[in-house]
Amino acid sequence: MDYRKCAQEIYDLVGKRENLVSAAHCATRLRLVTNDNEKVDMKKLEDVDGVKGVFSSNGQLQIIIGTGTVNKVYDEFLSISGMTAATKADVKAAAAAKQPLPFRMVKALGDVFVPILPAIVASGLLMGLLEGMTKIWPDMANSGTYTIIHLFSNAAFVFLPILVAISAARVFGGNIFLGAVIGMIMVHSDLINAWSVAGMLEEGQIIPSADVWFGLYKINLTGYQGHVIPVIISVWFMCFIEKRLHKIVPEMIDLFVTPLVTVLVTGYLTLTIFGPIFAQLEEWILVGVQWIITIPYGIGAAIAGAIYPLTVVAGVHHMYNTVEARMLSTGYNTWMPIASSANFAQGAACFAVALKSKDKKFKTLALPSSLSAFLGITEPAIFGVNLRLIKPLIAGMIGGAVGAAVGSMLGIGATAYGVTGLFGFLTCSNFIWQYAIMLAVSFVISFVLSWILHKDKPKDEEAAAVEEAPALPEITCEKGKVYAPIKGNVIPSANIPDETFAAGVLGEGVGIEPTLGIVYAPFDGEISSTTDTKHAIGVSSPDGMELLIHVGVNTVAMEGDGFDLLCAEGDKVKAGQKLMTFDIDKIKAAGYSTTTAVLVTNSDDYAGLDIKEGACEPLDCVITIKE
Amino acid sequence: MKQFSYTITDPVGIHARPAGILVKAVKPFESSCKITKGEKTVDLRKLMALMGMGIKCGDTVDVTIEGPDEDVAAETIEKFFKENL
Repeated sequence: MDYRKCAQEIYDLVGKRENLVSAAHCATRLRLVTNDNEKVDMKKLEDVDGVKGVFSSNGQLQIIIGTGTVNKVYDEFLSISGMTAATKADVKAAAAAKQPLPFRMVKALGDVFVPILPAIVASGLLMGLLEGMTKIWPDMANSGTYTIIHLFSNAAFVFLPILVAISAARVFGGNIFLGAVIGMIMVHSDLINAWSVAGMLEEGQIIPSADVWFGLYKINLTGYQGHVIPVIISVWFMCFIEKRLHKIVPEMIDLFVTPLVTVLVTGYLTLTIFGPIFAQLEEWILVGVQWIITIPYGIGAAIAGAIYPLTVVAGVHHMYNTVEARMLSTGYNTWMPIASSANFAQGAACFAVALKSKDKKFKTLALPSSLSAFLGITEPAIFGVNLRLIKPLIAGMIGGAVGAAVGSMLGIGATAYGVTGLFGFLTCSNFIWQYAIMLAVSFVISFVLSWILHKDKPKDEEAAAVEEAPALPEITCEKGKVYAPIKGNVIPSANIPDETFAAGVLGEGVGIEPTLGIVYAPFDGEISSTTDTKHAIGVSSPDGMELLIHVGVNTVAMEGDGFDLLCAEGDKVKAGQKLMTFDIDKIKAAGYSTTTAVLVTNSDDYAGLDIKEGACEPLDCVITIKE
Repeated sequence: MKQFSYTITDPVGIHARPAGILVKAVKPFESSCKITKGEKTVDLRKLMALMGMGIKCGDTVDVTIEGPDEDVAAETIEKFFKENL
């Protein structure tokens, strides 16, 4: 088989590069996300030499090619299309992108941030701890070890645009290395560090600037350290023109023209348009915020406390140091309690999600994120959890607002800036009790609100609700009957989300969408086969029926992780005996369907099968053989 | 009698799905088709038995085909192995 030819034909029939969003492959299939599935000529695709079948599901176009060959066709496909290898997760993300705009924007922010959270959590926690400790032992700041660790603690924030750019390029389907370059441009060491600008202005130094657009106007040569939104906008734009260029630039010169033009155009627009516009917006927000906090009776503080997390989302919060420094020159820093209350509230809202959610993956994300927020670094909590779920964000905003109002009315002021949250006690030493009350108020309010508002998505609840195994009825097996091996919902095998099972290649039967991760013996018989990957069991009955129980689709790739086999080949089993336990959450987390195929592999020997669809308890009769 | 050896290259080996497709590919032929790995030999038409072999990537198996249409069967089945397993 000619892999190149096969790949080329597929490429042409799916509408070439302009209709392709991303490409990945699994053991047997090429998995493509297209802009418009309508443009794909499915009929002709099926006729391509080497293609065994084509279907579309979940926004993915899946082309069955076969094991051992799919990877070779995939490699050719990449070289023809000029795309980069996408992980299966990327393909899923791209498929999800066909949703309304506001959803997509919030989702995009989350998708961009979640992969880089470990980096931010590491830096954030380090930073919180380090700053707190230097407040306790001021001498520490003079040690060499402090200097070094301080470096680690802010690396992820200083170079945040690079991390964000790489992640964003992946989400928006561009070349991740070009994305990285855009990020690097924004924090290039030849630009003035954004965090030094305020200090330089204070000292009367001049910020270097440059003429742009042939002298039309000037921009300040400052970097975008710690920024998020302008980076995402720039990278989104970069991906947009990169894809356009791939379309119009002749293939022969595509390799050098496209990256060159992409970086040149995006970089220039970033530093001369996107960046400055954003910097101006930031300036206005800053002025606005300073005006807001002059509103008396705690009202101004409440408003500022409420909108604070939004400014974190925008990345503007790094600029508040200027405001705080100005306040300190004339008295107490009264901005710090507002920020602290807002941060603590976001932490509390995230903490409530961590405690309430039954989704293990989410729990492990939410817990350290909330911890980091209590120490004053809220990015992980906001981007990783609260913003994605929206409700905790709002709960935190309300809690933060009330806390900030309380703090303002109690007249709290700090004697330094840079730390918030728990370590804030160190800079509010004249207001210990008041500060404690303020944090308690914002914690309790946002925790309670978040706890009430947060609901796991229904599928998670379902999985959690059935931790306990139900008691099984005693049954007497009748010949030719298969009793449900799993609790769940029975569907015809033709509806199993997998073409091999659905087509009956392995025999006729049913699919069960499991609600409980236990497999029971479906009749009295013998275990005829098990696999090392533990996800499939064969059982044969004394009267010659052979049954395959295959848990999930494509779960062979999990290599046994999440599956526990409780039987061995050759074992004699009684109906209802536990044969296997499996972790539904793990299968879902790995991105596979949990639908379990229960197939009579020798169904050819019988006249047909009667199946019973719908919800089933273990050992309900689900298949009856017609002799 | 026809015979060939083959070393499995599919990373997941002959698990449920490939086994199913293999059995289906063998079914049309009249000849008896057997697969041997080490000491164990099973009928290529029996899905459960085939899966029970636990054939993994890198394992070498012998396939034996005997019967009236053994020539065509051997050719087709060998081709199937090369393309799919």
